[in-house]
Amino acid sequence: MKNTTAFVFGFNNYASEIIDNVIHEYDNVHIYSLEMEDTKNTKYNIESFDLGDEWSEIKQLMISKNHVAFCTLEDDAQNIFLTISLRASFQDLVIVSLAKNKESSNKLEMAGANKVIPIVQNTADIISNMLSKPIATKVLHNVLYEKSDLKIAQIVIENEEYFHGEFPADIDWSRYKGIIVISVMSENLSREFIYSVKSKHKVLRNGDTLVVAGYENDLVEFEQLIGGKRYVNWGNWSR
Amino acid sequence: MNFFKRFIVDSAYAIQTAKAYQKKKRFFYNILENDENKYKKYFDLSMMLLIFISITILIREVKHDLPYHLVYFNSYVISIIFFVEYLLRLWVHGSVSQAVIKRYEHDSYLGRSFNLSKALRNIINSKLSYVFSIRAIIDLLAVLPFFHELRLLRVFILFRVFKLFRYTKSFQALASVLATKKFEFITLAMFSSIVIFVSSILIYVMEANNPKSPINTLYEAVYWSIVTISTVGYGDITPITDEGRFVAMLVIFAGISVLAFTTSLFVSAFTEKLDEIREMKTVEDISKIKKFHLICGYEEVAKEVAHSLSKKHKNVIVLDENMANVIQAKSDGFMAINYDPGSVESYAKLHIDINSQVESVLCLKQNDVENVYTALTVRSINKEINILSILVNESNRKKLEYAGINEIIYPQELVGMIVKELVGQPVAFEAIHELRSDESNITIDEIVITERILQHYSMIGELEHKRYRVIILGLYKNKSKSFYFNPLDETFLEEGDYLLAIGNKVFIKEFESSLHKKSHE
Repeated sequence: MKNTTAFVFGFNNYASEIIDNVIHEYDNVHIYSLEMEDTKNTKYNIESFDLGDEWSEIKQLMISKNHVAFCTLEDDAQNIFLTISLRASFQDLVIVSLAKNKESSNKLEMAGANKVIPIVQNTADIISNMLSKPIATKVLHNVLYEKSDLKIAQIVIENEEYFHGEFPADIDWSRYKGIIVISVMSENLSREFIYSVKSKHKVLRNGDTLVVAGYENDLVEFEQLIGGKRYVNWGNWSR
Repeated sequence: MNFFKRFIVDSAYAIQTAKAYQKKKRFFYNILENDENKYKKYFDLSMMLLIFISITILIREVKHDLPYHLVYFNSYVISIIFFVEYLLRLWVHGSVSQAVIKRYEHDSYLGRSFNLSKALRNIINSKLSYVFSIRAIIDLLAVLPFFHELRLLRVFILFRVFKLFRYTKSFQALASVLATKKFEFITLAMFSSIVIFVSSILIYVMEANNPKSPINTLYEAVYWSIVTISTVGYGDITPITDEGRFVAMLVIFAGISVLAFTTSLFVSAFTEKLDEIREMKTVEDISKIKKFHLICGYEEVAKEVAHSLSKKHKNVIVLDENMANVIQAKSDGFMAINYDPGSVESYAKLHIDINSQVESVLCLKQNDVENVYTALTVRSINKEINILSILVNESNRKKLEYAGINEIIYPQELVGMIVKELVGQPVAFEAIHELRSDESNITIDEIVITERILQHYSMIGELEHKRYRVIILGLYKNKSKSFYFNPLDETFLEEGDYLLAIGNKVFIKEFESSLHKKSHE
């Protein structure tokens, strides 16, 4: 299922990478830059904006509900101001913001960003994981980001009867050949590891989301068994 | 060349190429002189222990009769050990055979006949340079208590205390610090000597003829001068004439200036050398660390990486040519040194074995040019070491690859991939992100299959991981370098394989220790 519109604020290397990775996920991608220079000589259609805008133009573009804004301004202070401006004008807009460090990350969360990506922190974590757990890092990286046959999927349960009221921790998942269930997210958005204490006392219901690892064919088979489907629930992004 | 000379040259070549002889000599050299040798510290400690035993016996002997075996041990055993040490040091100082060969080859090259006398002169000069060095003289004097029947020679036991200088690095550091102010100390000594000389004569002239004065000899006058100029002033000898007291006042003023000058010399010498001493200490500490990651450049990403690795109990050493960054790294609790990571000399000064000590070199500056330069420097020293670098500008990726960097991290690309996953599968992304986070209790861990584990477990199905609420995500076969997702119970385990286990940190630990424990049962 395609989302409708993505707004990318700021045009730099980070924004380019984001655009390249998400452009096929949206019907429309609108790119805005603070610099007039950026609007020329690029393969994208870039419009200019300034932080004092009233966002009337964007309001007109928001027809349905699924909209995402990516705030990628290089200056953290400007990015925070942009995030708070968008949140003040659009309560339902999903805002993903980039932060250089933890300090800015906290401020962006306070400014109303649904998801903050702390660049330095993420880079450091990847490097540190590569050095301390090279195999696990490589496997997870391939599963998440590369074109691997092995996939991680989130599947929403729509046929709860299949589990006969069993607790996730008690289910013999090996009966679903080929897949591994890692965690379960209930409708109230609390995510639990499949063998956690809470999962031991929670019956699987329709609307719960399972995070499952497996090969594509096995995942499809599993989906059919539990009458589930894979889709993005934007409501999962809590603020 | 006559028969004798030919015999000398042949013998020299034979010794030089004799593996057993060279091995022994190298062993003794390492244990006596090579600070980086891991056994040297034990040798030094043993020698220090002998010195303390010797001094204790000397002190005890002053007022007590000691058993003969203790006196024997002190006078003969310790002395003989010290003498053997002296001879060994003399032996490893320079090489006789090498000196002969060098002279022979030099003469042959110039078409002259072998000049044995010159070769012998070089050898004697080399050995004498050691014999007359202060350390060697102290070593020799420390052996003299061997002749303890000569009571006067017993005092030479005290030279054994001076031998401590040889074994204690801080003493050597102190000497090197003071050596930097050699000229100032000589000036001070000259000034003090002149004042003592003049004031001794003056006080003697003024006081010696006075029957009431305690100063009757020139020796007493010199003693008084030294006691006064040093500002100690025992008061056992004091001038009684007005002239003598006037001289005393002058000496007191001179004494104050000598004291002030001496103090300032010590302080300035230490202040100037403090950084160098600290650096020496850091280098010494680094050389003792078995395994560490070398971070080149302490900037934003490097800070986070250092903290993250440190949380995982990994050792981290920071190299940065910018002093402010080094200070920051030190205040963050890391071992840091102000060396240029792009210079070969820096690695030589570090006294580290890159192959065995350095796990990986991390080029984490926000500058591709500097990262490439550092990587090439490291690669020129070692072809095998794992180098990881961040890439600032995508257009430079190939340059980093050509520089021999094994892993390249491009943060922008990383952000793009993260966003893609976030947009597509936010729940799955968060779940995996949690597994990789240090903060979360649920984690993914690598468990290496050891020989001990294999004694009791040969297949995946035998591991009982479900009992520990642990998921086996997959098995990494080290031999074939391939990953098997969700392996079947019948999959065989081999030594060196890795299990990727997902679960609560505590349970994974328990599961891992259960694999080892069962081996004990």
